[in-house]
Amino acid sequence: MGLKNLAEKVDEYNDRLEQGKVEKIKPDHVKKVLKKLNKKASQLESEIASAKKEEKKVRLSRKLAVAREHVARAEWLLDNIA
Amino acid sequence: MTRYYLPVAISALLLAFWISPNAQEIAAGVAIFLFGMLMLEDGFKLLGGGMLERLLERATRSVSRSILFGIVSTTVLQSSSLVSVITISFLSAGLISLMGGVGIIFGANIGTTTGAWLIAGLGLKVNIAAYAMPMIALSIVFVFQKSRVLRGVGYALAGLGFLFLGIHHMKEGFDAYKDQIDLLRFALPGLIGLVVYTLLGTVSTVVMQSSHATMVLILTALSAGQITYENALALAIGGNVGTTITAIIGSLSANFQGKRLALAHLVFNLTTAAVALIFIAQLRDAVDWVSATVGIDADDYALKLAVFHTIFNVLGVALMLPLMRRLVAFLERRIVEPVPDVSRPRFLNAAVDAFPETLESALRKEVLHLYENATELILHGLNLHRHEIFESANIAETVRKSRTASDLDIEERYERRVKTLYSAIVEFTTRAGDKRLPPEIAQRVYDLRDVASDIVQAVKSVKHLRKNVLRYTVRPEGAVTELYDGLRTEIARILLEIQKLEQTDPEDRSSLSLDQEHAQIEEDARSTTRHIDRLIRAGKLKPDAATSFLNDSAYAYGAMRQLIEAARRFYIERDSSMAEVERLLALEDEDFDTEPSG
Repeated sequence: MGLKNLAEKVDEYNDRLEQGKVEKIKPDHVKKVLKKLNKKASQLESEIASAKKEEKKVRLSRKLAVAREHVARAEWLLDNIA
Repeated sequence: MTRYYLPVAISALLLAFWISPNAQEIAAGVAIFLFGMLMLEDGFKLLGGGMLERLLERATRSVSRSILFGIVSTTVLQSSSLVSVITISFLSAGLISLMGGVGIIFGANIGTTTGAWLIAGLGLKVNIAAYAMPMIALSIVFVFQKSRVLRGVGYALAGLGFLFLGIHHMKEGFDAYKDQIDLLRFALPGLIGLVVYTLLGTVSTVVMQSSHATMVLILTALSAGQITYENALALAIGGNVGTTITAIIGSLSANFQGKRLALAHLVFNLTTAAVALIFIAQLRDAVDWVSATVGIDADDYALKLAVFHTIFNVLGVALMLPLMRRLVAFLERRIVEPVPDVSRPRFLNAAVDAFPETLESALRKEVLHLYENATELILHGLNLHRHEIFESANIAETVRKSRTASDLDIEERYERRVKTLYSAIVEFTTRAGDKRLPPEIAQRVYDLRDVASDIVQAVKSVKHLRKNVLRYTVRPEGAVTELYDGLRTEIARILLEIQKLEQTDPEDRSSLSLDQEHAQIEEDARSTTRHIDRLIRAGKLKPDAATSFLNDSAYAYGAMRQLIEAARRFYIERDSSMAEVERLLALEDEDFDTEPSG
């Protein structure tokens, strides 16, 4: 997983924006999504802290990794969308 | 009844034309007026583009707001029938409450009185035909434009022009009668006159399906001196009762909620009419007092009729308002919510077809209905039960304990509870595609059809698993049972996660969280393949069982991916910019090929 794919997707989005096929994304839109993602990540962190079984901890940690990846992507998008 | 309606109506008209040529002008005036109303409705539908629907949704948060919305919308649209039909449509789609709907109907009854004021105050005193002609001529230029808004303006302008023209012809017709026939000879005094003319007013509105048209007829006949003021009052009361017919016709294709609202309309108008008839003398005095206070001439019966129309409708609302909760309770008792038949579409009906917002909302609910049926079938197909899974603190343990075969004909259940709904959804979306929906709504409608398709594909995948689930999971058979339990557990986990997403507050919900499940599926799929290799090498799994399992695991992981994709499309942000952000941030298939970082 990485930011390279996201950069390519943003380029495609900009092309579609120029053609008038999509709505303009404003920083506020990204911030709203980022807020939800941060909340989910915190929720997963507390679930991991209270999980007793190792298998469950592994499962939840994998989910947290994805959630953090989303947060990183959203922060990158926020910096690059304006 | 309907079989005889057409020949009787045509015969009556032809007979009237034969008896009096002036009847032609009055009848043509009525026809032009009704035609104008139809055009006005079409115009507002084109102009609406979801605006009216969005307003309606917001306006029903309290009873007072509902009533105010009913007044304002009916005043602007000049059609209580249109407002009733839209309200029934929204109620059927579950977008507003019955209480909110009843409030709008109350308000619409007050709003409709503005029509009487317009006709009495303007229509009969100004030569409105002079305005009608340029309006109609200009409208046609707009109607032939490509822009939806301009076409809407064109239809609305033409509608208004035809309304004016209709009033003009009715006025001309009655003026001509003035010199030939004296309708006053048919005037009936006393109670009998009240009853007969109330019935006449009701029949007139039922036939023309417009209380406005009846009001125009009454006012023009009254101003031409063809009927007495007393008879005109009774006709106006009857016209109000007759107006409920449009709501009743509109509710025929609606669900039980729409029928409740139509009954509320009937109860309200009948009660108001009864009260008005009983207290007719007092109401007449009140009209005289109000008219004198606001400076209306004592012999200006047209304006006095408008005052009467307003007073008795406002009085009706004032009387019924304290009884509103009782009325709603009565409606709920009288028209009982039918026990839902899960195998039939619950939300897709003709009443929700007319407006983009109700159409999308009803479709969304029906897709959720399909998903509920699919969830039940998938879990039963895996010998699991929804309540046990959704309440379980340890899914793997619950699955291990589920060793009883479900009594299920999966093929028959699929045909009855999944395929029928899916067919209805496809038919509905195809029909919706023929309408000129705003592009944003059209896209969401097609996305919902794709959600339904993914759900159905997931069920089909699970159907393939059924044979070996029955073979290997009803009693412990070592490694192969553990493998199938693993698949059952993973599918159950996905369904549970989707259930949690449904229950999450939309303010906190993000379809991106499904990527976490997707990443887990891909990791499980990879580790399962490695595990099979180890089991075969260790001689714990026979090659034929391994082959069956590999085939089945492909179906199972396919079902999981389809369920996640369906949920992703279903729960994606409704705001198009926010949805675009989620699409940009979502992980792609290649992102799942490697272990996540972090």
